[in-house]
Amino acid sequence: MIHAEIIRKEKLTPTVSTLYFHWNADVKPGQFVMVWAPGTGEIPMSLSHIGKEKAFTIKNYGPSSDMLIKLEPGQKIFFRGPYGRPFSAVNGKTLLIGGGSGMASLHPLISRNAFGLIAARTREEILFMDEFESGNVSVTTDDGTFGIRGNVLAGLKDLDVDSFDMIYACGPEVMLYNLYKHLKDKNVNAELSLERLMKCGIGVCDSCSINGFQLCRDGPTFTMDQLRYMNEFGTEKLTFSGTRVSVH
Amino acid sequence: MPKGSLISDIGSMQLESPLILASGILDENGYTMRRMLEEGAAAVVTKSIGSTERAGFTPPVVVDLGDNLLNAIGLSNPGIEHFKEEISIAKGIGKPVIGSIFGATAEEFAYLASRMQSYGADAVELNLSCPHVKGFGSEVGSDPSLVEDIVSEVKAKINVPVLAKLTPNVTDIVSIAKAAEKADALVLINTVKAMHIDIYARMPTLSNAYGGLSGPAIKPIGVRAVYDVYRETEMDIIGCGGISRFEDVLEYMMAGARAVEIGTALKTYGRAIFDNIKRDTIRFLESEGIENIEEIIGAAVKK
Ligand SMILES: Cc1cc2nc3c(=O)[nH]c(=O)nc-3n(C[C@H](O)[C@H](O)[C@H](O)COP(=O)(O)O)c2cc1C
Ligand code: FES
Repeated sequence: MIHAEIIRKEKLTPTVSTLYFHWNADVKPGQFVMVWAPGTGEIPMSLSHIGKEKAFTIKNYGPSSDMLIKLEPGQKIFFRGPYGRPFSAVNGKTLLIGGGSGMASLHPLISRNAFGLIAARTREEILFMDEFESGNVSVTTDDGTFGIRGNVLAGLKDLDVDSFDMIYACGPEVMLYNLYKHLKDKNVNAELSLERLMKCGIGVCDSCSINGFQLCRDGPTFTMDQLRYMNEFGTEKLTFSGTRVSVH
Repeated sequence: MPKGSLISDIGSMQLESPLILASGILDENGYTMRRMLEEGAAAVVTKSIGSTERAGFTPPVVVDLGDNLLNAIGLSNPGIEHFKEEISIAKGIGKPVIGSIFGATAEEFAYLASRMQSYGADAVELNLSCPHVKGFGSEVGSDPSLVEDIVSEVKAKINVPVLAKLTPNVTDIVSIAKAAEKADALVLINTVKAMHIDIYARMPTLSNAYGGLSGPAIKPIGVRAVYDVYRETEMDIIGCGGISRFEDVLEYMMAGARAVEIGTALKTYGRAIFDNIKRDTIRFLESEGIENIEEIIGAAVKK
């Protein structure tokens, strides 16, 4: 287990904060770590900042994230990694599509050539909008409190997806599946970063698998061509005990 | 048998090679088991399944120790009624699927074994050896008379081969092996009970504190167990514990194993490990002029 001291904390929304720390490691966009909340649990977390200063952007949604988000500068964080196959790097125009806290894993890819499509439930939960060049970002909210009302597909209507050299996306599986269906017959390059339960993070426990590929090791980023052969994608997954259930 | 053939058998179960995926590693989801079979495993053992759904322990459930691993997954499983579908998905490619089960009593094991058989499992492996869950596994498997009852009861209920997987966490593994002698084969060994402490958090890293150690560190323990049991009994043995290269497979076979199970090495070497070990083993047999892999089983043991 690696340990580091939190050097800074930034509250982005009422439920989301970024915790900064020093960690001398080479991390690529899309990779994640397993973060330990001693006595509480361990959860996968993408790194939202991968320069000399590293950071995770945490939303509280369960006991471990709840405990982590309460940590303050000077306190220790524990984690292991980095794990997973990063997004592949491209030159040219990119489209970043993030749903909810999925924006955290896309954050390292924000650049002058990147256009952002941010999908949030409501105005308060929009992440990293100001980090895109002005005019290079579009927002959808489920409740219509900001930007376009609707889901990510509503946001795609006005975009010419063919004009991007690469589309990167991260978010809940149902959103990614809808996006996949929208893109699959178009002539686009896209990599989707999936989110599933992860118990081990190192390719042994099978809790994150999708058609025999381990998200933690073979993913979490997959190309459109890889997703084409995965009939579990967008349909079925296993719960914490290993019970097969619908993704919806 | 063709030259360089690795064909192997355990009871009535035919294997294209002696290399089996061990229980608990990448074998909860039927599609994953199927992929392991497609990519070279001769058979897969499912993760251990009990009578009712069990969440298992809260993460951290593993400690990554490089090539070795400490785990306390806690026998998480969907319950036998929900496992039928995973077996049928895994069996889609026609290779053997071995159903692993755990229980507290002989009746519970017998019930689980007959369910597994009815789902199409080609053999049943009795987990008498998980070291980190109270009331199951090694607690059951350290009691020779209970082991004898469980094996007899299961043998009376099903026709497919019964494999008894034993724990190394006992003083005398040979006496447990003898208690399980009605089984068609023994699997030696499960993980070694162990612990890791995080010195900065000042507490055990696993949420369950105790776990099971696997990987190359336990191979000498496994080889010794196989050697002892091979020398003292006439039973078929499947070796397990720390196998990651062809040399390890041969070592276990020379100690008396007919086949082997591989788990933790998947973490370091990925799914290609089965094909790589197969290729290297065939090369070894050819270069040593060994016509039939059976020749080496127990070759190192003085009976
Ligand atoms: C993550 C993990 C989960 C395991 N779960 C089970 C299990 O459910 N049932 C069982 O009989 N053995 C289980 N084992 C033990 C393995 O099947 C095997 O006996 C042990 O790991 C030694 O082999 P190896 O060094 O090749 O991994 C598990 C091992 C690991 C690492
Ligand atoms: S999280 Fe365990 S295999 Fe991916």
